[in-house]
Order: sequence, then C-alpha cells, then structure tokens
Amino acid sequence: MGYVAVSAGEDVIRRAEDLYEKTRIEGESDTVSVDQVADQFGRLTGQVMGESGLYAPRLAALAIKQAQGDAVEAAFLLRAYRSTLELWGYAEAPSTDALDVERRVSPAFKDVPGGQILGGTKDYTQRLLDFDLDGEDDPVNPIDAWDLDPEHDVDINDEEPGSLAGVVDLLREEELVADPETAAIDDHVEDGPQDTTREPLSHPAPRDAILQELSRGETGAVTALGYSALRGYGQVHPTLAEVRVGSLPLRVKHPYTGETATLPGTDVSECQGVVPAYETRDEARFAFGYGVTFGRNERKAIGMTMLDASIQLDGDAPAEDAEFVLDVVDGLDSFGFIEHLKLPHYVTFQSILDRVRSIQERDTTTDEKVDAELAEVGGDD
Amino acid sequence: MTDAEPESLEELHDPSSEGLEGYNYAYLDEHTKREVRRATLKAISIPGHQVPYASRAMPLARGWGTGGIQASLSLLGPDDVFKVIDQGSDASVNAANIRRLAETTADIETTTDTTAASVIQTRHRIPEEVLTDDQILVLQVPVTDALRRVDGSDDRNRTRHAHADYSKMWVALYESVVQWGEVDIGARYPVMVEGRYLMDPSPIPRWDVPKLHDADNLFVFAAGREARIYAIPPHTDVEPLAFEDRSFRVEHFDEEACDACGSTDTFLTEVEGEDGERRFACNDTSFCEKRQRNSDCAKDDHLERSDIAWGPGTGIDPNGFVGDGGEDI
Amino acid sequence: MTFLDADGLTKVYGEGCSACLATTGPEYDRNRCPECDSVVACADVSFEVRDGEVLGIVGESGSGKSSVAEILALDADATAGTATIRGHGDVLDADYQRRREIRDEHLGMVHQHVHDGLNLSFTGGGNVAEKLLSAGWRHYGDIRSRVRGLFEETEVPVDRMDDSAETYSGGMQRRVQIAKAIANDPGLVVLDEPTTGLDVSVQARVLDTFRRLQREQDVATVVVSHDLSVVRLLADRVLVMRQGRIVEAGLTDRVMEDPHHEYTQTLINSII
Repeated sequence: MGYVAVSAGEDVIRRAEDLYEKTRIEGESDTVSVDQVADQFGRLTGQVMGESGLYAPRLAALAIKQAQGDAVEAAFLLRAYRSTLELWGYAEAPSTDALDVERRVSPAFKDVPGGQILGGTKDYTQRLLDFDLDGEDDPVNPIDAWDLDPEHDVDINDEEPGSLAGVVDLLREEELVADPETAAIDDHVEDGPQDTTREPLSHPAPRDAILQELSRGETGAVTALGYSALRGYGQVHPTLAEVRVGSLPLRVKHPYTGETATLPGTDVSECQGVVPAYETRDEARFAFGYGVTFGRNERKAIGMTMLDASIQLDGDAPAEDAEFVLDVVDGLDSFGFIEHLKLPHYVTFQSILDRVRSIQERDTTTDEKVDAELAEVGGDD
Repeated sequence: MTDAEPESLEELHDPSSEGLEGYNYAYLDEHTKREVRRATLKAISIPGHQVPYASRAMPLARGWGTGGIQASLSLLGPDDVFKVIDQGSDASVNAANIRRLAETTADIETTTDTTAASVIQTRHRIPEEVLTDDQILVLQVPVTDALRRVDGSDDRNRTRHAHADYSKMWVALYESVVQWGEVDIGARYPVMVEGRYLMDPSPIPRWDVPKLHDADNLFVFAAGREARIYAIPPHTDVEPLAFEDRSFRVEHFDEEACDACGSTDTFLTEVEGEDGERRFACNDTSFCEKRQRNSDCAKDDHLERSDIAWGPGTGIDPNGFVGDGGEDI
Repeated sequence: MTFLDADGLTKVYGEGCSACLATTGPEYDRNRCPECDSVVACADVSFEVRDGEVLGIVGESGSGKSSVAEILALDADATAGTATIRGHGDVLDADYQRRREIRDEHLGMVHQHVHDGLNLSFTGGGNVAEKLLSAGWRHYGDIRSRVRGLFEETEVPVDRMDDSAETYSGGMQRRVQIAKAIANDPGLVVLDEPTTGLDVSVQARVLDTFRRLQREQDVATVVVSHDLSVVRLLADRVLVMRQGRIVEAGLTDRVMEDPHHEYTQTLINSII
C-alpha cells in the first residue's frame, strides 16, 4: 500500500539497522575497543551508569560503543538489560563516611577537618583546546616528577587525613540543620526504601523514591532544573557543605552463603548542601539537600542536591514541585516520548483535521448568519 | 545471569546464538509477567480505573509501545496468535519491531488478519472488523488520564477520580463549545466508564469510540512510561462525554470513498498524491485488502450473527434504521 | 425556622493543648496560646440563622470572623463544634463526598480573594456554569440560559459572558461570584468581605444587588466584614468578634445604636 506513510517490513528494518551499523566508523580509523572506551571515557561511562542505575563500567563502555557515543541511548541499553536481571537482594545502606575520597572540597568553610582535597580536576584550568592531544601521545604520570619529600616541602602534610567527618555533621552538632521530615519516610522504610524500578511511583512520593529518581535522572535535565532554581525560578541558592568524589565500598548479603560480603569500591560523586530557611519564628535553620550519583559527575550531584532541597520547600516554582521534577527528569521517559513523535500520527492527525475543518465551516456559516442579522438591524444603529 | 561483573562480555551473551537466547519466555521474567497480569485483573475488576504497575525498562523506547508490549507479553502463551497494528497498519515499522520481539521471545504465531488473532496490540486504532469474546485488544497508551487536559497534576487528578469529581472536565467542554461551537477534541476523546470513571481511551479517533461500548471483547490499555494499566471488560457501558443537546460526533468524510477498495463505511486517512490530487484510503490496511478482494465483506462477516453495532455504519438501532454512516452517534 | 445552627465552632492552628481555650480571648487580649504557641482563630462560636435572615459577623482582622466563614463554607475543617443545616444534619461531620455535594448544591460562597472564588482563565459564564455542572446539569442550552439569567440578575453585562473572567473589572468579578453562589438556589450564602478591594461607588452597587437578590430569594445569609457599614446595610442581626470570641450579639440596629460591650463601642466610634 503506497498510502501508508511509514510502512516497512521486517527486512527494511534490518536494512536500516545495517546502515546504522555502517556509520559506526566514518573514516579510515581502527574501531575503538570497549577497553579504550572504559579506560579513556570515564566521565561518560560514569554518566551512563548513573542514568541507567546499573553499576557496570565495562557494560557501560560496551553500550556507549554500541550507541555510537549517544549517552542517553547507552543508558537505555543498560536499563533494558538491567530489567532482565534477576534481583538477588539489596545492599546494606552504606554510610558515605566510608567513602575512599579522591577529591573533596567544602565551599562552605575555608578549612575543614581533613582539609580540602582538590584531587585531579580541570575546574581551575583555562579551557583551551589542547592540540597536542591530536597525536599519539600517552599521558605521563605527573607524580613521578613531584618532589614529595616532606622534609623539603613543609606545606605538604604527610599524614593521612585523620578525619573526613562530614561538614554538615559539624553544623548538625550545633543544631543548625533542619533535616528533612522523615517521620512518614521512616514508616515506609521499615521494609527498606521503595525500589522505584520495581514499585510504581505515585505522588506524593516519599523522599527515598524522590532521591532514587533524581539519582537516575538525565544529567542535562538535573542540571537544567537545578539551575532554574538558582536562576530565579525558586528560592534555593545553596551553600555546598561538601562535594566529594571517591570509591564507596558496598556490603551485600551473599545470595548462597548468606554471609555479608564487601564489594569492591563503587565510584560515586556526592554532594551535600544547606539552604537558609526561616520557617519558624524561633529557629533560623538550614534546610538540607543531598545528591549522589554513580561515576564522576559532580555537576549532576550538585544539581540533585538543589532539587532535593527545592522539593522540600514544596513551593510554586518548577523545581519545587516534586511531581513536575520527577515527571520530566528521567532521560528514558523524555527521550522515548520526544522521539516517538517520529512515529506515524496520521490517524490522530486526520481526527483533529476533521475538527478544525468542521469548526472553520461552522465559523463561515455563523459569520454569514451574523452578517445577515447585522444587515437587518443595521438601520437601528 | 550473574550479578557480579563478568570476566568477559562473551560470558553474558553467546554471539553464535540466534535471536534472544538466554532471555526468559516472552522476554519478561515470570515474576514481572505475574505482576502485570495481577494489575490487569485488578483493572478488569474496576473498569476505567488506572492501576499502577512496575513498568520495566524494555528493549523498546518508552512511548513506543512499552506498556502495550508488557501487557501483551504477559498475556501471550504458545497457542496464541498475535497481531500488531500501528495507526491501522500491520506493516508500520514500529508494529513490525514489536511483532518481531514477540515472535523471537514468545515463539508465537503472528497474523495480519484481525479475525484470526487472539491478542491484538494496537496503537491509536480499533480494527474495523468486529472483535469477539475470545479476543483481547491491547491498546498502547501515551497519556493515561483524561483529566490531564485540565490539570497536569496526577496527585490532584487521583483525588478527583476517587470522588468522581469531573466538573473541571465538564467546564472545559462547556468552554470549548462556547469558543468553537463544538467540543474541540480530535482523538483521545474522554469517555465515562460504567457511569463511574472518566477514562482516556488512548488516541483512537472518535470513529472508534462507540466500539468500546458493550463490546464482546476485552480492552486492555497499557502505558509503559506512565506505568498504569486500565481496562474495559466485555459488555461495559462506555459513553463519550457530551452535552445532552450537543451530541458526540465522529469524524465525517463527506462523500469520500477509499481509493483502493471503495469503502465508505471505514475510517479514512487522506494522502496528497504526487499529482496534487487528494485521495482517501482505508486506515485499517488488513480489512482494506479483504474489501479489495470482496467488496461486500461486512465488518461482521466472520460471525454468525449480523448487524452487530461496531461503530459508524454498523448495527441496527431500535427504530429499525441502519446506522447512518456515523455522522451523529 | 432555624436554617443553620452553629454550635461551639472552634478552630485552632497548631498542635493545640488543654490550656489553649482558657488562656486566650478578649480578656487576655491575645489569640496565641502561651503554653503551646498555637493560634486560636475562633473558639466556642455559636449562633443560629433563620430562613431568609442575614447574619452579620463583624470584627477587625484576626478576630476569627473569616475562620467562621471558611468553616461554614466547608472550605476548612473545624477543630470542634457542629454546624447543623436543616435537612442535612451536622455538615462538618459529613464525609468528603457528602461535603462536596452540600457545597455544590446547598451552599454559596463569595470569597474575599477573587482567586479563591473564580478560575480566571475560564470565561465568566464558564465559572457560573461550573456550579451547575457540579450539580449535574448536562444540557448545554439549559446551562446557557440559566447562566444568562444569572448574569442579568446580578447585573453583569450578558455580552461579556463568554469573555475570560480575568478581563472583568473587580466589581464584575464580585458579581460573577454572587451569580455563582446563588446558581443552584442554595439554602445558605456566605459572603466574606464582599466589598474589599472595590471602589466605594462599586461597593454600594454590589451590595444593593445582593440585598435585592437576597430578599427576592429569601436565602439565609452570613456576611462577614470588618466594615460596619456593610453589616449595617445587609444584616438583620450582628455578632461582634474579637480575639476569636463573640463579645456581643444582637439586632443590628440595637448594636449600632446602643452597643453594650466596650470593644463594640470603640469599633463604632472609630468608624463614625
């Protein structure tokens, strides 16, 4: 039938797939290996693991290769794969005090217990294209060239940081932080937090479900919605108590032996922020926001912190409306529904076409009638 | 499957195997299928009420029929015959993709003949041919709540449903008639189910809405992205929302007939030809092919009974008049 | 005959404690409980309204009069007390479904803030139609002619019926609220500060319209206002409230001419 706008048999679909595969390499270069993606695009694999809710660096690298670098598509592949896996159990709720920190900054205070740890970052570097990268160079390990002998450099502290106590805990000790209302959540958490991949989300959603959905949110959406609050569509301008990146050990009960085992570190980015809130007359306190996500993705962790804090305000701004934020923040939902507009819509279009034509016809008839009436009464004016 | 990260990717998937080796029958694990069936049973028990279920991530994009395929896969067994249509067509790419997933994972027979299918998954159409009491129609749903037209918040809308408080929707209809002289809703026309729940029938054209009323078959509406299932069981009272003196109207095609089969009692879609001519053609392609072979083929030809009410141009009204081609219903 | 019998209406905002009622009120000159910091918006407010009677409730802001109006309009829950409407029992005790039914069909409310009373994105006519649709009207022609009739009665230009309510003047919006309030011939209408935000000349015309309609339809009415002249114009009897309590009650003329309570005297003197 030539009339079916997008019509194709399964052969055609296969050919379209083949053509897509053909665009995997558009040039003369070698195919990139999954190892190379895993080793060299750590930020991207981190983002994809975060958005898919599956911590599996090698699978993430494979998905990225398969998706030709499309991060949301790669997260989609991983999520679809994840949903076919059998659920063995849930890890014990970890405390991020156990985070093996490779980077930690506290914008709230000049100095904090354990110190500011910059780690490796480009934050303070000029963003200039490095043309040297367009070659066969391998990065050298800069540490080899550093003089780390404490006797020669008094500024370098050779002691392991003694305490990396959470900065927010310092404020908590002074009773300056109003932690989110947890009464309702505690009731609900008796059987463990709601697993939003297994239990449908209904509004109003408990905070554990909100945090999960934010943590799996699309990085760009979390950033944009967080930014909206900062930009003036809301009240939240947080001070970040801490932004941390590191490796978090997880403990999980072995499905066969029943013994608790510690899994090797899971790379996460974490952020805690406080927002001044003066809800009651007598107590000026800080509201608390939290963000955590897989991989090195500080921007998303901060955006999530802002959204967590904003949602608790329950105000009128977009970022303060939990239902709005959760409805739009998921990359797979938005990606799928936006792209579905490419599907044929000629039935629905015919239906609305019929309405518009019918209304137009009616208008023409009414106009004529009105014109006729006006002509009749015209003499009275 | 193993939970820990595998040594090599080959462990996860044997590249020499065809299709979806290693996946469960009908793709979803049994636990998930049971859960979807439970939600479906609940939905059947409360006609028109949206039942939440844990919609899984599927190997199809959300918004492309993930709800429909979860409902279908949880209903299908090896003896079923499956038909998939997208906007009336079996040949549409997305329909073909969904059909292929069911074929490779559920090992079922597929068909394009509406009368031969036991389960039909559809996007935006109800077939022209009358469905029977051993058929299930699974409709893909993009927007689960008719009230979304008047309020974006599902939280508030859930309260409205609980109390059957539909005044806001009625005001929207009133305002629409004030402004346009008629209700300006094309597809996705809101219906009342058993006089209790306001329901979004998915974006079927108004042409198909009367078929929901007192049908022999079961309708299952499934949304993947929004994680809700609802249903219209056989012989349920379904009424499009309309004022007593502003009757619900289906799409009209004036004197147009299908360019391919000559039908004047089917839902047509228009195509601008390369010669600049506007032509109309049946939207239900499999029925159109039947009509091309046999122009007398009635919509209930496959049944022993005849004159069954199945939308515009069918049935006999109590006064003995045959339906008028569907101007006013 | 008594149409509405309100008994012991009490509204406490906050946790509330056993000391709340005993430590607040006009004699303590406060409505915030010193023990638990709760606010006693109104306490132990009892009165009757007879068929066709207009009861005025007057007081300054914070006196609790608006809380009484909200409770009667079923917009807020009472902490304690009953409101018996003839034929419907204690409406404060009714479940959600029943409350909605009563609110849709037997009560009319004119809100102080237009946003509480009207949906400004709807047409003026649509706002009135909503009340009819809530009560089950399903005939478009009937709805149109009823709305048109109500517009005429409340003196809103009928040719503005299909314009968005946000394009209406403040006076017109108030009149549309009145049209909406009386649309289903309710037994009771509650007016909360019916003139606030209107020009003086508009105030008088809105009140005149309402007084005429009230008399024609003989509907029991509670009018809440800080403005004594409003109450004097409309009300047969008046309650004076202060710090959540009734301090004086009586026929409007008597209270205006011969106020017994010191606070009422101050209130009247400050106006005149």
